[in-house]
Amino acid sequence: MSYAVRIKFKRTGPVRYLGHLDMLRYFQKAVMRSGIDVKYSEGFNPHQIMSFAYPLGVSMETIGDYMDLELNSEPDARMIMNRMNDVMKEGICVVGVSVLPGTAINAMASVAAASYRIKLRGNMPSSVELDHFMQQEHIVIEKAAKACGKKGKHKDKQEEKPVEELDIKIGIMALSINENGELVTTLSSGSKMNLKPATLVEVMNRYLNLSLVIEKIIRTEIYRKLDDDTIVPLGEFDDQTKKES
Amino acid sequence: MTERKLALNNDILMSIEKPARYIGGELNSVMKEKTQVKLRFAMCFPDVYEIGMSHLGMQILYGMFNEMPDVWCERVFSPWTDLDHVLREEHIPLFALESQEPVKGFDFLGMTLQYEMCYSNVLQILDLSGIPMLQKDRTWEDPILIGGGPCVYNPEPIADFFDMFYIGEGETKYPQLFDLYLTCRDEKVSREEFLKRAALIDGIYVPSMYEITYRTDGTIDKMIPRYDTIPKTVKKEVVRDLNDVYYPLKPVVPFIRATQDRIVLEVQRGCIRGCRFCQAGQIYKPIRERSVSTLKKYARELMKNTGYEEISLSSLSTSDYTGLQELLEYLIEECNQKRINISLPSLRIDAFSLDVMNKIQDVRKNSLTFAPEAGSQRMRNVINKGLTKEDILNGAQMAFLGGWHKVKLYFMLGLPFEENEDIEAIAELCNEIAALYYETIPKEQRQGKAEITASTSFFVPKPFTAFQWAKMNTMDEFIEKATLTKKTVLNQLNKKSISYHWHEAGTTIMEGIFARGDRKVSKAIQYAYEHGCLFDAWTEEYRHETWLEAFDKTGVDYSFYIFRDRNEEEIFPWDFIDAGVTKKYLLKEWKQAQAGIVTQNCREQCSGCGAGTYQCGICIQKK
Repeated sequence: MSYAVRIKFKRTGPVRYLGHLDMLRYFQKAVMRSGIDVKYSEGFNPHQIMSFAYPLGVSMETIGDYMDLELNSEPDARMIMNRMNDVMKEGICVVGVSVLPGTAINAMASVAAASYRIKLRGNMPSSVELDHFMQQEHIVIEKAAKACGKKGKHKDKQEEKPVEELDIKIGIMALSINENGELVTTLSSGSKMNLKPATLVEVMNRYLNLSLVIEKIIRTEIYRKLDDDTIVPLGEFDDQTKKES
Repeated sequence: MTERKLALNNDILMSIEKPARYIGGELNSVMKEKTQVKLRFAMCFPDVYEIGMSHLGMQILYGMFNEMPDVWCERVFSPWTDLDHVLREEHIPLFALESQEPVKGFDFLGMTLQYEMCYSNVLQILDLSGIPMLQKDRTWEDPILIGGGPCVYNPEPIADFFDMFYIGEGETKYPQLFDLYLTCRDEKVSREEFLKRAALIDGIYVPSMYEITYRTDGTIDKMIPRYDTIPKTVKKEVVRDLNDVYYPLKPVVPFIRATQDRIVLEVQRGCIRGCRFCQAGQIYKPIRERSVSTLKKYARELMKNTGYEEISLSSLSTSDYTGLQELLEYLIEECNQKRINISLPSLRIDAFSLDVMNKIQDVRKNSLTFAPEAGSQRMRNVINKGLTKEDILNGAQMAFLGGWHKVKLYFMLGLPFEENEDIEAIAELCNEIAALYYETIPKEQRQGKAEITASTSFFVPKPFTAFQWAKMNTMDEFIEKATLTKKTVLNQLNKKSISYHWHEAGTTIMEGIFARGDRKVSKAIQYAYEHGCLFDAWTEEYRHETWLEAFDKTGVDYSFYIFRDRNEEEIFPWDFIDAGVTKKYLLKEWKQAQAGIVTQNCREQCSGCGAGTYQCGICIQKK
């Protein structure tokens, strides 16, 4: 029998320059120090069974990221949070732990959306412009198409990669500017449409003829989707009547 | 605590490789309030972060200094070439990781000099910090530059750059040096006066307090102290009891993967084996062990405080540690429980070590390593490597029976008194080991063919070794010898089971010059740095042509330092250092080498090397 918890964590300040693998290593060591009864994988090279919902890019801050951890014994959420925070270092801390119900699918597979706060440099659009941007029927980006089967035809020539157009409007689930002049947005993530904050800023620059430069991106929450298409934070399992889709 | 402000902005950090090298803030790194301390020390390893953070000595001094309430020690590493360019272009001064404040504002800048090929990086650190490269140009506006580590056993090629060197083990004299510094600053004495007083502390060498005169043949005539008070010799510092000295139980744990990504447990210091090529074996004498009970305690603490998944025992020759069996039994038990791996570098291959490795390693057998250093028995006697062909073959056979089939062997080329047949013996030994595999393991039980990997490095004579009198091979001779090794390997019956690699010869030549150079060499180092040499220890960055040009342009004849026979009476640039082992003993060893006579190790018989004056470790144990 194994148990699992979903750990919600925060990463702010200089540690935002860590890569995803560094974060993984950081948490492995933290779990070692905490003495939590973590479960190890089988095989030649056993490792802690740990998975992150959404790898953090270098320089991104977060106040709402998640990782799942499998355990050997019945977890006590409060105790795990305390033990983890006792061994944390500047800038990284655990803000919530929820015991995963047996029906839950793993963190990474259930990601449907993420919200962000983006600090930008340059002239911000007015709210009218922003509304205008959002009221368009299509918001189209060009995206490198997936490799098509033809191989080795012109091996030596630098062929231009085929480009396909993609309407991302449906992926921009919310967009506004807050009182600090930061862009606040919720973007679709996961396998269907994975929209990155940098892509949004790029397309805004193009449509609104702006030259905004990203200073800092703060991920504020990661969501999963319920049957009725509403989204809830990845760590919330209160409403057990609703089933995950 | 408020968020630390980084010295580099987001645009810069996002434009360089591995920005996490420059942010500090790692687990167990120490933050202090700068107004609450009296002395700020910038501890520098002049290479990239991942290399520097793997060094135990730096962790020791970092932890020790930060335990002093009045001192805040921070870390500095060489910015990689990408950031180096940015710092120059944007005029950003080099900073320490913790406070992110410029190095120039510190009281001390300490550099650990672990290999000669870091010398251009030393100048990079000074240059990027805005500290004058030459000692004579510095004022109280600049930190005191102090060097330590094995290279300071001949600090003369870099003497013009440093304010002082610390000769020996750092644990002993820093408190005294810091006190003196604070007193001198209180009294508002001159920088020169501070240096003059510092030179009186044991182990502290202040190069500017000495005048060197040379003979017409270029060798040293005299090294004369500039004041009557300044001592003629500087005695190396030694920790007498390793159970009663600071050890970093809360080492800084890097976020990014360092070269040494594990707990390091130093079981002993020094070595009983007097290998004649080995400098570490002489300068860290006498051997001093830590007790098993101390080590058990440290291991437990370190596991708790770091979260590492691996622990490594560190020493020059771990097989010689007398408590090894007891310690390993404990660690195996403890580590199995906690799922921590044990790694054991520098173990001699014998029944005991194979048994241990069977217990600690997973089923996929990694390769086993032997370091015969020389191919023929005659040559191994010359270098006093107490390893016989039988030891090697027995060890290899046991290993094959235990399921291993990969063997790595390390050799040196260019050793003194080397003949072609000694070189050919390298290939022959490899062949015999491969043949032994096929004889020992029946065909149906083999896991593929034997994989014998032989690597050779080129020998560099080092100060305080029996070979300090030896002449080095030229680049062409090195290449010829490597070619001969290669050719002989290809003539062996089992050539398909043997792969051979050799190390670069260019850096070896430079290492040789710096190892036994004198103060004249510093001009060439400065020239080379100013003309683009940096990260010389990195093969892809090393610029041999620029180095040759540096010697040419500064009029320094480098062949004088490496291609010349030294006579017994010659005064060496490093003779002012009293490292315990005497020149008389080393000379005797040089003669024994010539005669191919083996000297027994410290446990078998005392050979009166001189380290006994420290009255500690094996020198005072009952035999």
